[in-house]
Amino acid sequence: MAQKPQINIIAVVDVIGALSGRTLQNGNLCLVDNGDHSSTGQGTTDLCTFVRPGQVVQWSALAVDLQTPVDIKSITFLGPDGTPSPLGRRDANGESEKLDLEHWAGMVPPFLPPGVPHRYRLELQMYEGEHSVLHVDTPALLRV
Amino acid sequence: MAQQLAIIVLVDIGNALETNTLEGNTYLFDNMKLHGSEGQGTGDLVTAIHGAYWRDGSQATEQVLNWLPYSLGSIPPTVPRSYQSDRARQSDEQALAELEAVTAKAGAPGADPTPELDHIRQVAGRRVKTTRRTRGRLSGQKVLDVTGQVVTEATAAYSYPGPVITDIYGQAVDEKIMYPAEYGSPDLVTDGWYWSATVDSSRPGTYAYTMRIQLHKLVQRGGETLWEPVNLTCESKLLITSEPKRNGFTGAGLGWLPIAPQAAQPQTAQPQTAQPQTAQPQTPQPQTPQSAAPQPGAPQFPQSAGQPQAPATPHS
Repeated sequence: MAQKPQINIIAVVDVIGALSGRTLQNGNLCLVDNGDHSSTGQGTTDLCTFVRPGQVVQWSALAVDLQTPVDIKSITFLGPDGTPSPLGRRDANGESEKLDLEHWAGMVPPFLPPGVPHRYRLELQMYEGEHSVLHVDTPALLRV
Repeated sequence: MAQQLAIIVLVDIGNALETNTLEGNTYLFDNMKLHGSEGQGTGDLVTAIHGAYWRDGSQATEQVLNWLPYSLGSIPPTVPRSYQSDRARQSDEQALAELEAVTAKAGAPGADPTPELDHIRQVAGRRVKTTRRTRGRLSGQKVLDVTGQVVTEATAAYSYPGPVITDIYGQAVDEKIMYPAEYGSPDLVTDGWYWSATVDSSRPGTYAYTMRIQLHKLVQRGGETLWEPVNLTCESKLLITSEPKRNGFTGAGLGWLPIAPQAAQPQTAQPQTAQPQTAQPQTPQPQTPQSAAPQPGAPQFPQSAGQPQAPATPHS
């Protein structure tokens, strides 16, 4: 089967559940992808998406209750010790009111070593305010 | 898909009917304060709509508006659909039972049934005549107050039927900025119908629109009580902005995912299908955004506009 040029990862968020419990766990966040390989952890926060170099991976957030706001605030790949990668934009946090303009997509780099999960931090913003941003560090990309 | 927009149209029906205008008697709210809507809770709501477009100019997000009319000083719309007719039937049953008791005592010497009959009249309330226009949900009803009790006296306060949007028109519709229509809904809180519209966000600006709202006035005609429809209008505005979509990773167009090669170390928790690697290839370090000239062989991360871009049109 020909390789898909693009894989979509959708973060389905129960915004009211997440804000009430201040957590994306307990079923408040489900990650799913449409990759052509057998990604693991579909429907959980532990989604491991199998990718190939050159494929475009696109993330988007979808609220379970369509009248609640949720946007991706940032996606940061983590090092082996779980610390965020120094790569990526540093200016991304100053414009939170325009998060809806951000389109989260990128190509899988060719140098990515196969067989190891590259975990990333997915930060979601629901409305605004002190407790509006929550994140998970558990999803990953894995080059097959 | 973006968040759906809800616009609540809260009408003070009693005052609107008295002054025969919705001006000053309508309170509008939406759920887009975050995006800059202004005038929440007033009659002068300006609903902010963020549009977005791709690099080729095509519309990137679909904005959907939903209108929800509510009444101030009415029985809440969340009661069961048959609540009004159930209350009418219960008052009939109670009146009949009391009438039976009065009839049984009627033969007794010296009995004066006047107080009991007065009470029965109170219990029976006032039935609203069903006309061709009020057939359906308003049929077979009695006049009730907001607590669901039947109302007998013509001067007493009573609950109005909820407001009904019967049309949305005006500049924003004429100029094809939004495409409103009434849709059937399984949600009986909205009486099984609701108005919704999609928005063309490609032409930024402020556009007015008008809602035609039908209220019902209780009138006495020929000894009968009727709900008479009263059509009024109120205006609101859409403020449409549109900005280009940008890539969250690069701030511009599509690039490589910012994964540091050193991140690719063996990890303890791996999926079962993963092939653990004991020796990692020694990949050159990529450049950080602040670093100077690229080193030969180092992968490049697009950091700004002007980098060669891959096609950015998504397939969502």
